[in-house]
Amino acid sequence: MNRELGVSLGGVTLAAVAAATLPFIGNDYFVGIGFTLLTWIALTEAWMLISGMAGYVSLGHVAFVGIGAYVAALSWQVLPVWGILLTAGIAAGTLALLVGYPCLRVRGPYFVILTFGLSELLKFVVVNIESALVVSGRVLFGAPEIQNLFYMMLGLAWVSLSVALIVRRSRFGAGLRAIRENEEAAETIGIAASWFKLAAFALSAIVPGMVGALIAMRISYFEPLDFFSPRTSLLIVTMAVVGGSDKPLGPLLGVVFLVLLQELLWANLPQLYMIIVGVLLIGVVVWIPEGIFGGLQRLTARGTR
Amino acid sequence: MSFQLLLAALVAGSVYALVALGLNLIYGTMRLLNVAHGEFVMIGAYVAYWGISLWSLSPLLAAPVAIVLTAGLGALIYYSIFRRAMRSPAFVERIEANSLLVFFGVSIILQNVTALVFTANLRGYRYDDELVSFGGASLPVNKIMVIVTAGLVCIASVIFFARSILGLAIKALIQQREAAALVGIPVARIDLISFCIGFGVAGFAGVLVSMTEQISPFMGFPFTITAFVVIIIGGLGNVLGSLLGGLLLGVLETFGVAFTGPSYRSIMIYGVFIGVLLLRPQGLFGPGRART
Repeated sequence: MNRELGVSLGGVTLAAVAAATLPFIGNDYFVGIGFTLLTWIALTEAWMLISGMAGYVSLGHVAFVGIGAYVAALSWQVLPVWGILLTAGIAAGTLALLVGYPCLRVRGPYFVILTFGLSELLKFVVVNIESALVVSGRVLFGAPEIQNLFYMMLGLAWVSLSVALIVRRSRFGAGLRAIRENEEAAETIGIAASWFKLAAFALSAIVPGMVGALIAMRISYFEPLDFFSPRTSLLIVTMAVVGGSDKPLGPLLGVVFLVLLQELLWANLPQLYMIIVGVLLIGVVVWIPEGIFGGLQRLTARGTR
Repeated sequence: MSFQLLLAALVAGSVYALVALGLNLIYGTMRLLNVAHGEFVMIGAYVAYWGISLWSLSPLLAAPVAIVLTAGLGALIYYSIFRRAMRSPAFVERIEANSLLVFFGVSIILQNVTALVFTANLRGYRYDDELVSFGGASLPVNKIMVIVTAGLVCIASVIFFARSILGLAIKALIQQREAAALVGIPVARIDLISFCIGFGVAGFAGVLVSMTEQISPFMGFPFTITAFVVIIIGGLGNVLGSLLGGLLLGVLETFGVAFTGPSYRSIMIYGVFIGVLLLRPQGLFGPGRART
């Protein structure tokens, strides 16, 4: 492990320890916001593995969240909470392995649309299964307290960020970046591109699956149309790109920015909030294509020169 | 019975073909993933609705207004966002994700501005809905008008892309952007024109939709999805393919739902979509291999 990686991992761990004090100092409202923040951190950092590093932009990551939530709803009170989380992660990873092999052969816009289509297909399959079973929404009785869920989500966000940092520094991450820059050239120098992509895709699915299970416990209700909503996939991409850059810190900024904006505006002016998000989104993509993080880096670089 | 179904398929398919044609033009020329396309259908529908409610203007007379308005909005988006962004290497490098997000932004702005101004209520109007019977089937007059006008626009666009110099220039741009620039085609101007035509056609499709269905600020998203399915079936950037693909999807959807049931509609559409993407990503009608 080199020194820089050690420093950033240490920093992330310190931040996680600091965040762990939140349930002692804040009320349930703040713990709830913290839970939401950590949810999106875990999701975007996981998404970055395949979409940021390998350049395969997935617009279907909600499928993994949804499958995790579905696993939680099905195995509620059958398995213990840790067993549910484990199963949800395994289910999402397996799903990624199954669909990843055919999907990762197509690139660029085709991959974007394909992942979107698959997540929608899965949504309607689950909707139909549920209506065939004559179930309309599943209630999870006796779900854990928000404080406990907060700690579990904190753990997932920590894992997600650490994995992103470690992969970035590893030979595996270098291979993924080579694939992003030029897949043919990467294969020529001996990178097994299809295995690298498949591994990154599966790895990027596991945490979202577990996140889905935790969200189901938080809401204590499962309804396929909510849990498989394409809005989630779009928000993941939005947060990652608004934050910007392929460094793990970029998406973190995007998440904090958008979640806090939502907390400030959503309750009073939902339509105005959406309009502001739209304007910001366009503004960031067009004027600071490297994202908030990249923009800040550029500014500080200019300042020190 | 089956003739009746075929007519229903034609109504749905001709609207799909129009919406998808516009989307394909914008994707084909500039490689932009336009997820706001359905919102332009919505705007066209609102123009027709207000035209008939306020001034009892026939939707067919409101159509030119809708086309000019949506094409103008398209030009505005082109000038304010894409003319600049297409010159930035950082934007073009990740054009899928970036254009997706820009249009996602456009889409939520249009939806929420419309909802703020006109409320989010469902609206509708009655227009020529007496039934006409022929050949053992019956159809309301407004649906016949949808088929006829949409059909005319489709035929006109086939001629436009096969014969006119502008249509050929657009096709050249879709096939080989760099080469088109080299032979002297004004790329930026054609981009703008494709934007205007693409959004204008979407607005026109919206007028037709409003004649037979209820409208709301959030009606656009399903049209965006359907249009993407159609241009995948017909081939990304294949203008004629999207017309055939639209009709094919209309037939598939109508007959599929009639034989299996409405709850399988979405599964079927996405199933076809994924099947085509995996097995024949260049589209059913495209020659050779797709550019990836």
